[in-house]
Amino acid sequence: MSVFKRKEKERVYTRYSTAGGGVSRWKETVEKLMTPEGRPEVLDDVMVLDASVSNFSGIIAASFFAEFGAEVIKIEPAQGDPCRKMTPFGKNIKGVGIPFILEGRNKRYMTLDLERSEEDREIFARLAQKAAVVIETFPAKTMDAWGIGYRQLSEKNTGLIYIGITPYGQYTQKAQEYVNFPDTDITTQAGSGLSAQIGDLPTEPEPYNWPLKAGMWMGWYISGLSAALGGMMALMYRQSTGEGQMIDVAGMDAYSSMTGFPASIGYTWEKSRPRIGVLDFILYPYGHWKSKDGLVAIAAPRDHDFRALLKILGRWDLEDDFKYTADRIPDIIDKAMELHREIEKETIKYTADELTAKALNYAMKAARSKWRGGGVPIVMKVMTPENTRQNKQWEVRKSFKEVEDKTLGKITVTSGFVKMTESPPQVKWVTTDIGKDNEYVRETYLKD
Amino acid sequence: MEDYFSYTAKLFDPSSVNERPEALKGLRVLDFTHVIFGPTASRILGNYGAEVIKLELPFYGDLWRPATYWGRYWKHSNPIWHFVTQNKYFVSVDLKRAEAKDLIYRLAKSSDIVLENFAPGTAEAWGVGYSRLSEVNPNIIYLSCSTYGQYGPMRYFPGWDLLAQAASGVLSLNGFPGTDKYFKLPDYLGDFVPGNMGAMVLLMALYYRNKTGKGQYLDLSQTDSMMRVLPHFTYHSLTGENLGRTGHTDPAMIAASIFKTRDGKYLGLACATETQFQGLCDAMGKPDLFEDTRFSDYFNALKEENAEALRAIVTDWIKTKACNDIIALARNNGFAAAEVADDKMVCNDPWRLERGSVILFQDDMYGELALAGPSARLSKTPGRTKWLARPLGYHNRFVLKKILGLSEEELEDLEKKKVIGTYDDKPGLKPPVYYNLDKDPMYNYGREVAK
Repeated sequence: MSVFKRKEKERVYTRYSTAGGGVSRWKETVEKLMTPEGRPEVLDDVMVLDASVSNFSGIIAASFFAEFGAEVIKIEPAQGDPCRKMTPFGKNIKGVGIPFILEGRNKRYMTLDLERSEEDREIFARLAQKAAVVIETFPAKTMDAWGIGYRQLSEKNTGLIYIGITPYGQYTQKAQEYVNFPDTDITTQAGSGLSAQIGDLPTEPEPYNWPLKAGMWMGWYISGLSAALGGMMALMYRQSTGEGQMIDVAGMDAYSSMTGFPASIGYTWEKSRPRIGVLDFILYPYGHWKSKDGLVAIAAPRDHDFRALLKILGRWDLEDDFKYTADRIPDIIDKAMELHREIEKETIKYTADELTAKALNYAMKAARSKWRGGGVPIVMKVMTPENTRQNKQWEVRKSFKEVEDKTLGKITVTSGFVKMTESPPQVKWVTTDIGKDNEYVRETYLKD
Repeated sequence: MEDYFSYTAKLFDPSSVNERPEALKGLRVLDFTHVIFGPTASRILGNYGAEVIKLELPFYGDLWRPATYWGRYWKHSNPIWHFVTQNKYFVSVDLKRAEAKDLIYRLAKSSDIVLENFAPGTAEAWGVGYSRLSEVNPNIIYLSCSTYGQYGPMRYFPGWDLLAQAASGVLSLNGFPGTDKYFKLPDYLGDFVPGNMGAMVLLMALYYRNKTGKGQYLDLSQTDSMMRVLPHFTYHSLTGENLGRTGHTDPAMIAASIFKTRDGKYLGLACATETQFQGLCDAMGKPDLFEDTRFSDYFNALKEENAEALRAIVTDWIKTKACNDIIALARNNGFAAAEVADDKMVCNDPWRLERGSVILFQDDMYGELALAGPSARLSKTPGRTKWLARPLGYHNRFVLKKILGLSEEELEDLEKKKVIGTYDDKPGLKPPVYYNLDKDPMYNYGREVAK
């Protein structure tokens, strides 16, 4: 963004800051955050077996453990997990799909055919005696029927944490009836309440007014994150008591259990929310508009933020009709859309950078003003991932990493989604070769 | 051996959740956060037994207390705030006052975790940042939540969920290619996803501290967090192409899209494997499609023109079927299909009620409210709800007397100086009108109450 081009004193848009020196301890803290390389790993005493198959949420859960230093061994048959093939438009590198490459971080690969080979199941059971965590996504009771479910594995390894991920979970009548139902991202988005809330207004033409799919694997990432978070909770209990447990993640819970909105709104309102297009149920303005050169996101929801926005857009005439939050919330959609269009008449006159600069200048003045409540209208260019990749912020924060693999070549991956002073997550390598670590696993874990 | 499902029914029995141990019992969390991102991280710790002390400004409180969907209150509270603030202790102190800082330093001394999500720099400037609190308590684990992070050229840029969606690339990916239609992810997912990551990374730090005795500082940006769920950066680096928006479809799976059925319902359908695709072809009565050269190989079937051709065939078929019929066929033939569930369907779903994914919670102050259950079900140490949100300052007496041992005189003095306070007469801050706080033993902790 152009605001970074000139070398100048750092601009502060908030009332309080650490600019102009600050405490030396803070500088020391930031220096540590900025140098994550080679620091200790949190889970260096944790081995994870990922036996998930054709379900990315298991792979994603395993990735979180791997980023924090766990020894993660992906178990798959010799022909490979079908997840290797799930990739946008079939784009692949030497037969491996791109999502699988991204989540190949810090993983080891071992071939075992749990579905067909009794012998391989025995090897798995032996490995599981040394594991802290097992992740699997077979239909409920499958592993149990094979003699390698939680029930059997936890007999010898009482500290084992066993995570099962399925669409409808490990118990209840429906889980039994739909036991062989496969889990996918799109059914998870649809069935857990996400799709119903995204898409155009009911008055717009079909199919734009249908429920929409989020443009990324939001269902699977939520399930995977929930599984890893549950697994960490269980690791805490294991750390203090030595006891393991079973964890049940249902894909159909993903969105509804993460946000809590559908349950509590369905109950208190006794109705379902319609799709609301580019509007928002609670805040306004809180969305995106066209500018001269692409979209801008604008958030100015509090009354004083809204007033500030009207000032920088030169539309004080709108203040009277939309003074209070209650005037702007879209329970009357036509009225909210009218305001939306009025705002767009102004945003279209400027470039995204011009609008951002206007808002930041206002915020800087408001922060310095002795008057409280000057308002902070927030504007951000709507970036494509390619814009994001070029943003200096993430270069400074080392949020991307270039890694090189013998088979795959050079790869860009996101890295270090959180910065920590002592034990940050790391991407050490990315690889996907089937059975690459068969020998290593045998030598390290199966000798006795 | 016992039938698997009767074994798991006992293993996870939702009715015995409250009798089971808590993974984070004895953990104290000092929580400066507000709105959704930070409060979600601390809420999750509270679900598993941590004692979360939520600090708010007297008479104003958390910005999200009064901000409900379409302005609809429920018993003078924000119905969707209860989920995010369940199980917390509500303490209201004016952070900027010297006397308040003393209280905070004393609380920090016995706390394990501190969280804040002020604009970057604010906590440090106010003397409640990591620099200061790690002097008070060297082993403290301190998480700062923000939109762009605590360092980098954009650190002082103000932000919310929406701006993280814009800056991460997420917002540019929802909508229809070749149109001007873009949609943000709904319901502040740009807060909830990072919030859940926040809880996870705090547990990482705690696990590390239990092994080494060392606390640490964590800087979690919601934009960084949202970037973690995108394969698009890797996709671009390997193919040189932009994925962009993909409408109703999932371009990574066979026949994956949102469809409309004969009875006007919507469903998501997809085939994750070739076997599942065969099941779909059979269900459509078109087994020869599976042999069609366009779809015979997984990668080939995903090629844009082939995927479009296949989706057209499936769309035509689904148009002739009722939603339930498709789901029955999916169950029978082993491919994935699910009806698009809206608020009411989620809330009243018998499966969710039986499972504990939706809980009809009985609260002492608010009565019954439907809440979402935990995202992951833990057999031994399940997450649970103990109480809903409370009015601003509700636990002042309990926390300051019980934990800090303040005397009645000291409390009165702090109240008089407005260092601590309670609620103003505003919805979202005050108790429900029917509720008499004078008779509430927790609100009046350490003082006689009329029965």
